[in-house]
Amino acid sequence: MVILKTEALKKYYGKEPNVVKALDGVDLEVQEGEFVAVVGTSGSGKSTLLHMLGGLDKPTDGKVIVGGKDISGMTDEQLTIFRRRNVGFVFQSYNLVPILNVYENIVLPIELDGNTVDQDYVENIIETLGLSEKKNHLPNNLSGGQQQRVAIARALATKPSILLADEPTGNLDTKSSQDVLGVLKMTSTKFHQTIVMITHNEQIAQLADRIIRIEDGKIVTMEGWI
Amino acid sequence: MDPIIAIIISVSLCLITVFFCYRYVKKTFDDVDYVLDSILAKKTDISLKTMEDSRLSKLGHKALRIAEMNIMDVSQIKHEKEIIQSFISDMSHQMKTPLSSVTMYTDLVLEGRITEDERQEFLYRIKKGTEKLQWMMDSLVKMSRLEVGAIELNPVPAGIKQTISESVSDVYAASVKKNISIETTYFDDIMLLNDRKWTREAIANVLENAIKYSSIGGEVNISIEKLPIYTKINITDHGIGIFSDEWNSVFKRFYRGRNAKGIDGAGLGLYLASLILEKQGGYILVDSRPGQYTTFSMFLQNCKK
Repeated sequence: MVILKTEALKKYYGKEPNVVKALDGVDLEVQEGEFVAVVGTSGSGKSTLLHMLGGLDKPTDGKVIVGGKDISGMTDEQLTIFRRRNVGFVFQSYNLVPILNVYENIVLPIELDGNTVDQDYVENIIETLGLSEKKNHLPNNLSGGQQQRVAIARALATKPSILLADEPTGNLDTKSSQDVLGVLKMTSTKFHQTIVMITHNEQIAQLADRIIRIEDGKIVTMEGWI
Repeated sequence: MDPIIAIIISVSLCLITVFFCYRYVKKTFDDVDYVLDSILAKKTDISLKTMEDSRLSKLGHKALRIAEMNIMDVSQIKHEKEIIQSFISDMSHQMKTPLSSVTMYTDLVLEGRITEDERQEFLYRIKKGTEKLQWMMDSLVKMSRLEVGAIELNPVPAGIKQTISESVSDVYAASVKKNISIETTYFDDIMLLNDRKWTREAIANVLENAIKYSSIGGEVNISIEKLPIYTKINITDHGIGIFSDEWNSVFKRFYRGRNAKGIDGAGLGLYLASLILEKQGGYILVDSRPGQYTTFSMFLQNCKK
């Protein structure tokens, strides 16, 4: 089943004659449970694409359809609720709340939506991501790799339809990167989580089920179609 | 005030309240009914306002997820069916070449109008062909069992040293034949979560590739590196290499690298290795510079303390 889809997606910045076409007609389909890497150089439009997919920004033209719902026409308030319930984000920076411990950080988005925490599920995630020992630690006492794993756990805890990761290993050394990557890969198989990951790094992208290459706001190739 | 009027007013107030309550309950039920109907009709475009911060909206959102899950299950099955179909067509395609060569050489030998040298040569080719078919059959059986989950891997804490040495002994004959030395950097044994039998197979597959794509007299290196969650087993060769735009594809079923065309192979070994690692919560990465080196890194989980 197609969980995420874009139709002729465009995002232009600025006015004529100085229009910057960050995205220029992107058609994309992501299957449920798929791990997709979007690869491109800086300025290729890959981050803009991720922002559109996650409802963080509105397209100039075209559609973004998540779980059968067109989000391109939603109001800001609707988008906020949409994001909270459907999208998990992992960024280059970890964005953890410094005064909350690891566990509290992970369950924060669940509690924000007024839901009760699925204890077993959250414990399972914490275990899978190798954070059992660190549950009561504050983020400042953790290494970069560990903090990023907490951020991934937080993104997964709400059981989102899609997980969007923007250069998730951008701030990490090679060793921690490979740990974080492994964890992402495991999540995609173990929890059947749909993941779209943005990166400029071939090393990292190879782990995905499929690689989409983007250049000058357009998709140039798709590899690994099953 | 006339008590009768007071009674009438309070009764009618009650009636009005009851009426509104009834309307509210009826509306809620109607909405729930509508959602359930939509699920039954397998529709996901439920137009209930699922994007509001209200209890009904939350309910609608959850109902929608249930409907989606249903549809996903169905499409998952369809998808699997497609995989099996493409698998069968790939497989028959791969088997055709060795099978037709076996048939052809057998016919030639049976006809008998050949010299003794030719006869030896043809028999040798028949042997090669059947060996390839045999190997493919074995791999395919393993693969299909792993894919459908007929074999459950059982990752338990086990030292990796013995497994690596077993894998090396599996490919020893092949390495001697090409005069390739397999060097292992010394390391202290580490307990890793893995299923020994299968890990041995995965490592042997990667080693076999390293030998196959190296030139005669080359060297293959094995080293171990410990990370916080995983431990990686690096296998490096100095053979033909893999272009970076193929790093993702080489792990796909039946994929052969662009510069591997002249070398015999079915495109199964690396796929099987990555499948085995994935089933144990691990993964595999490649790094290469064509003509210089290729390193496959296999990641297995460290034991939790």
